[in-house]
Amino acid sequence: MWKQVRERETGVINSKLFTRRVKSDRVSSLQLSNHKEIVSAHRGAINSLQVDLTEGRYLLSGGSDASVAVYDVQRATEYVAGGLVAKHKNILLVDKQHEHGHKYAVSSAIWYPVDTGLFVTGSYDHFVNVWDTNTTQVVMNFKMPGKVYKTAMSALSTSHMLIAVGSEDVQVRLCDIASGAFSHTLSGHRDGVMSLEWSTSSEWVLLTGGRDGAIRFWDIRRAGCFSVLNQSHTQLGRRPPFLQRVSTNKASTSKSSLASVSSKSKTSQRKHVNGNGSKQSSAAKKNVIQEKASAGKRLHPGLISSRDRSTAHYGAVIGLKMTSDGQYLLSAGSDSRLRLWDVESCCNTLVNFDIVRLQTSKPMQLAVSPDPDLVFVPCMSTVKAFSMWSGQTMLSFRNHYDNVNSCWYNEQDQELYTGASDRQILVWSPFKSNLEHEGVAPDQDNWSD
Amino acid sequence: MEEERKTTAVAELIEKATNSIEPNLDPRLLKSIKFVVRSSELDLRIAAQTLMNLMKRDHSQVRYLTLLIIDELFMRSKLFRTLLVEKLDHLLSLSVGFRRNLPLPAPPAVASLLRSKAIEFLEKWNTTFGIHYRQLRLGYDYLKNTLRFQFPNLQANAARMQQQRSERERKTKEILLNKFQLLKGSFSTIKDEIQSTIDEIGECLDIIKSKDENMSLAPIDDEEMEEFRNSELRQIRFDSLKEGEKVHENSENKVVFDALRESYKLLVTKHLVSVQEWISVLIRVETSENRFRDLMLKEFIDIRNRVQLVKKKCEESGCILPNTKNHEEDDFWEEGQVETHGNGRINPPSKISEDTSIASTSHEKIEYAGYDDRGLNGNKPNHDGNKTDLDPLKSKLLAEAPVMNWGSFLDNWGSNRDFMAHQRGLELESHWGRVDYDAVIPAAKIAELNVQTTLYNEEPVALQECRAPLRKGGLCRRRDQRVCPFHGPIVCRDDEGKPIYQTSSVETTALDLGEDVLEQLAQQAVSNVRKNDQEEAKKKEHDKKSLKRARLAKVREHNDAVLRDAALASTSGSQHFGEDMGTMGGSSSTRNKKQTLASMLKKKVTVKDRLSQRLLNTRVRDSTTKQLTLGEDAKYREAFPNQW
Repeated sequence: MWKQVRERETGVINSKLFTRRVKSDRVSSLQLSNHKEIVSAHRGAINSLQVDLTEGRYLLSGGSDASVAVYDVQRATEYVAGGLVAKHKNILLVDKQHEHGHKYAVSSAIWYPVDTGLFVTGSYDHFVNVWDTNTTQVVMNFKMPGKVYKTAMSALSTSHMLIAVGSEDVQVRLCDIASGAFSHTLSGHRDGVMSLEWSTSSEWVLLTGGRDGAIRFWDIRRAGCFSVLNQSHTQLGRRPPFLQRVSTNKASTSKSSLASVSSKSKTSQRKHVNGNGSKQSSAAKKNVIQEKASAGKRLHPGLISSRDRSTAHYGAVIGLKMTSDGQYLLSAGSDSRLRLWDVESCCNTLVNFDIVRLQTSKPMQLAVSPDPDLVFVPCMSTVKAFSMWSGQTMLSFRNHYDNVNSCWYNEQDQELYTGASDRQILVWSPFKSNLEHEGVAPDQDNWSD
Repeated sequence: MEEERKTTAVAELIEKATNSIEPNLDPRLLKSIKFVVRSSELDLRIAAQTLMNLMKRDHSQVRYLTLLIIDELFMRSKLFRTLLVEKLDHLLSLSVGFRRNLPLPAPPAVASLLRSKAIEFLEKWNTTFGIHYRQLRLGYDYLKNTLRFQFPNLQANAARMQQQRSERERKTKEILLNKFQLLKGSFSTIKDEIQSTIDEIGECLDIIKSKDENMSLAPIDDEEMEEFRNSELRQIRFDSLKEGEKVHENSENKVVFDALRESYKLLVTKHLVSVQEWISVLIRVETSENRFRDLMLKEFIDIRNRVQLVKKKCEESGCILPNTKNHEEDDFWEEGQVETHGNGRINPPSKISEDTSIASTSHEKIEYAGYDDRGLNGNKPNHDGNKTDLDPLKSKLLAEAPVMNWGSFLDNWGSNRDFMAHQRGLELESHWGRVDYDAVIPAAKIAELNVQTTLYNEEPVALQECRAPLRKGGLCRRRDQRVCPFHGPIVCRDDEGKPIYQTSSVETTALDLGEDVLEQLAQQAVSNVRKNDQEEAKKKEHDKKSLKRARLAKVREHNDAVLRDAALASTSGSQHFGEDMGTMGGSSSTRNKKQTLASMLKKKVTVKDRLSQRLLNTRVRDSTTKQLTLGEDAKYREAFPNQW
């Protein structure tokens, strides 16, 4: 640690590298925090957790008892045991007593990405509510045809304010906050949609994972889905003709430049995963929209339908998470598999995550940490952190007494929040040596004989 | 090498400590575990690992003992705590068994003990170390608030008790203080009241005494003194003299006496009691005005002494009755003390026998016949005590003599004369024909008639206990005559239940009753009866119709054949009924084995199990159903014989 500080001081390492190292040190020492405690206000399972994207300070949680609560994770409301334990109580609670509260379990609660003045909740009572945080009043609601499993808003969007809603219904609906109406209805899934994710590279691309096991990519500017992930598609196909590459280069320049920053450092890591050294160069130039590439050769209608039926998982897709650079997608399925997809080629990278078992009935929330590339996956009552490229278990967080439903990695503080069916929200923070506080008996050996 | 040896030592120690069926740990082993673990960190880690592995054993007893060790180490070592809280959820699910898919293993009694202990420990750990370990808080919170386990709540209970006690104390103090304040206000009035009563009594007494003075005492002459030499009598005399001194109530001083009595009553029942109460209040009260309190206390004690003095005076003056009454009662009870009986074992039958013996004292022999010494072994010496002067021959004979029931025949016991048949001491005019007054019943006939028949009375045998050693400790208490159904023939056993082999069985010496006479008489009677019977039978044999009998025999033969057929049809199946005894024996060899952990898991075979094994196996069931259907068939055929 001090050596690194010294190196930074002398300029041997640059500031970014230094930050990365410190962060990865901290992340690798994550453990259950004894000095930070979130007092859960929920009387049921915690289904959804999200820290706001603007300040990284307010944690929004949705529970099975139809309640939504907001906690301040920076400032504690109360200290006990001589300041040893900081308790964070909810600063906002909406439950069934509220006149516009949800009737049934809240399955999803998300912040409005731009500021903390709004948040959106989706519930099993078929409603999606948009709340004003300051007045805790419903400013808008959308009635869905079935239970709402998941809502999502794009963090990148500058031109639209759409809430993508996955429900029991086969159609994914996009609700426009600006107009208060459904702007899109995306049909293609053959069963309800349990997971949704906006692309982190393009504000127009939406990814949905359904209970039919398919993961579909939608461009909301066009009709229909443009890609369906196939779990058996693991090799890059024939290289596309040179001419087309040039023509499509324009569309992908913005994206590839974005990715190039981080891709440099990752190249060595990725190599052994893909086993294809030439892939990196081609991937950068490839088009996001696979369909276009294949449009060149005319597909047989029957072939189209077979591609349309391909699945990403055996069983439902219960969780989706895109890496922050938008190049990779992680999907969890009720077949207890976690798959890492290369977004550009739509390839299954075949990374074997040593997961024993995943819960099957509920949608769940994955989390990724960008610095050491870790993915946090709730595996029944434990949360495991896997290395994204090797699939090895790096850390294991076990102290929940029931199934964990959601986790959220707070990048700012390198903290992990997990919510489970045992009603607890646990904080996992980097190791901090226990300072002895006055007024508390010190924890020490006590050998009487 | 050294390290390895040591580490295995810890694991071995723990294994050894948990491999026991005792409900507690062996303190020596525990101590050695603690000693080893204390000295090295590595050992502690290995111990934690071993203990967690042991917790996974499929045996509640092992888990229970392991949990005890865990608690011991948990309360002591910080490293152990940090190692253990990492896996606290696992530990709790193994010890509390709150997950439905992971219930606690086999011996259910130990399992429930394990659960309650685990919950207790968790509470203890949480109160002691909870602040340092979030995991402990979480586990406690989950069990308490989500699963709603009942925690013993030891600390909270103790605190509540303490609070209740202090509350009570505070209340009593308050009450005392209130009383004290009250007393401060009314002290003078109380004092005045008591003083006035005392004065009143004093005046009354004065009046009585002044009236008395003219009365003179009777002189005591020496002669009389001589007479009452006996100290008791003298005492009585003194008492009476004293009594004479006292003033007696009469019509003149009745009013004074009444007043005196009244005020005395007031003094004793009200003032004395209240003064005592006040004193106790003053002693117990805690107040700042100590000087005042002491003063009051002193005064009250003075008052009490005065009151007691007056009371005594009153009593001496003889106007108080209840006291004397008490004395009389005491005397009465002293005299009436009943001496206790040394022999408390007098039971009704013995009393009866005593009665019979007393009733028939005129006949020596009968008296002894009256003893029914079966149930009276304890009382026998008492009776013998009266007759210590018997010579040895006689006592020997007595021991041999048969025991007879009491009856009228004993009147003529041993008389050997003929009876006149028609002379009964009463002259009766018989109108039923000529009476032969000289008819004689010969002595032999009389004796024959007097033969006493007795019903066979089974001798009550003292049933022996089986005393075979039981697996759970102790000896079999089953009493039976020859064979215990669980442990085979009953033989003599020592205190540990091992059989003592006897070379010679108890010889049954037939009692030589020495009653030749009786036997002869019986034979005679029997032969007489037989003779008569034979004669009659002969007559009958010749008379009866042999033809009819032959026909009957034929019918019977036919019936027999039919029945035999029916019986064969039904017994072919049922002859196997309950014949499976042989197949399931052979488990008795394990009976006397020592208890082990494995044997705790074995399900106890109950009577119900054995019965069900015998009655519900397939063969028996089949045969039973077969029999039932056959029975139904037969019934049907009987009911509708002409339908096929």
